[in-house]
Amino acid sequence: MIRIEHLTKVFGGEKVVDDLSFVLEAGTSTALIGPNGAGKTTTLSMLTGLLKPTNGSIRMNDTQDIRKEIGFLPQYPNFYPWLTALEFTEMTGKLNGVPSRDAKKQAERVLDFVGLTNDRSKKTSTFSGGMKQRLGIAQAIVHKPKLLILDEPVSALDPVGRREVINLLKQLQQHSTILYSTHILNDAEEMTDQLLFLKKGQLVEQGSLKDIRTKFDSFRYKIQFTSKEEASLFATQSQLPTTVEESYAFIEIKDGFPTMQELMSQLIVLPFSILKVERVTMTLEEIFMKVVGQ
Amino acid sequence: MKTFIILLQKEFRESWRSFKFLWMPLLFILLGITDPLTNYYMEDILNAVGNMPDGFSLSLPDFVPIDILMASTGQFQSIGLIVFVITIAGMINRERQNGTATLIYVRPISFFALFMSKWVVGSLLGILSVSLGYAGSMYYTAILYGSVDTMSFIQMVMSYCVWIVFATAVALMFSAIFKTAFATTFTIIVIPFGVMIDSLIGQYWHFSPWKLANYSVQLLSDTHNEYYIKTLLLTIILLILAIIIGILFTRKNAGTTKI
Repeated sequence: MIRIEHLTKVFGGEKVVDDLSFVLEAGTSTALIGPNGAGKTTTLSMLTGLLKPTNGSIRMNDTQDIRKEIGFLPQYPNFYPWLTALEFTEMTGKLNGVPSRDAKKQAERVLDFVGLTNDRSKKTSTFSGGMKQRLGIAQAIVHKPKLLILDEPVSALDPVGRREVINLLKQLQQHSTILYSTHILNDAEEMTDQLLFLKKGQLVEQGSLKDIRTKFDSFRYKIQFTSKEEASLFATQSQLPTTVEESYAFIEIKDGFPTMQELMSQLIVLPFSILKVERVTMTLEEIFMKVVGQ
Repeated sequence: MKTFIILLQKEFRESWRSFKFLWMPLLFILLGITDPLTNYYMEDILNAVGNMPDGFSLSLPDFVPIDILMASTGQFQSIGLIVFVITIAGMINRERQNGTATLIYVRPISFFALFMSKWVVGSLLGILSVSLGYAGSMYYTAILYGSVDTMSFIQMVMSYCVWIVFATAVALMFSAIFKTAFATTFTIIVIPFGVMIDSLIGQYWHFSPWKLANYSVQLLSDTHNEYYIKTLLLTIILLILAIIIGILFTRKNAGTTKI
């Protein structure tokens, strides 16, 4: 279990991270979510020991040097171009205290795991973005860390690379504690027990995805017209509070009202055609905007 | 200690694969053999290429071996030293700037081990280059001008190596404190420019690290230099100081690595 209390970082008088407190339970996955500039990377840097907190503490049971127990994947991992993937992974394992006689085997094992078996003897300068990300994961797990910290692990990848990395992380999730940052809530949906929403350095919301949904989600009707004009016309005539987006009109549902029948009775008299009527929940993106937006 | 060995291995691998251990010694060998050869053949060279007016006669001074070794030292102290310290001045900050340091700094390493691994490899590169450079100079000097006392020669090379090791520590210290551009500038001002300034107005003081190179060559002559030991000791003290400051700043600036 890792306990973070009152974590604060001030850069030139500005609080980039402001009094953050949260707990990472062993074996769980936590997503740090927020728009660019919310302080996600700064928070992760303090957890890795790269940055000293201005205030606050990070405690992991009785561990003195937290660097021994973590594995870190930066958003854009940079490798020594003159080392091969295997040499690099072996070296990083040794630096983390993997005994010399096991280091090579262990490095080979994690490179197999991330799917770089055939490329392990190539210099890292020849690697593509997706391969670098996978090597980044390999070097982060080579010493079997208790906590895996990943900064935007999939944001920079194409859809194929993204899928590969998410699958790897899902496997890792089964036996390690993971903390990762992202600005894409959809990525969090697949592999998260706890969500932490950051906004301007402050923790504005936290809980499981289900909790957040219950708290912020709302149902509404989405009516599709053939044009924006028709949707607007409907909004002015309607007795229900309506918002318009392109050729869609949205009507909030509060305490079960209006019912679909009530809505239908209004729609049925309209002099123009309706393409579609449905009852929708908010997308994750909309929830994200609602939590961290202005 | 274990992380020191691993980091040392890494530094050697890097220097080896970037051919530093090849071209740096070659540069010093080239600089070393230039002076004995050009000075000896100067008359022939002038006769062959120069359109000397009739009746022009050039009287070249008669050099003794120590003059030639002094001239070679001058080469090392200008071109050789500039190239060498620029190489060293990028060893720490470049890794921070391109982000390769990040994956090292997040591991349980000591910054003492990190700094020392770079200092050891940089120093060995300098010692190897300088030794081969002097060997090249001595080889041709011995053939063309005559020999010097072997023990004194070895003493001189070792003494010059202390200066190179000092230059390595200072360049690395600046590398730990500043970004590449500033580190390179400060290093060039302090080391090669320092040598120039010392040779211009150095008559006002008698011992400083910048004099060590000249004092080293004087070990070949019979005259006893009472300031040599003091200069050597001062250099070693400043070298240790540079290492300590360098380690402190390596730790302090760890957070500036690109993430």
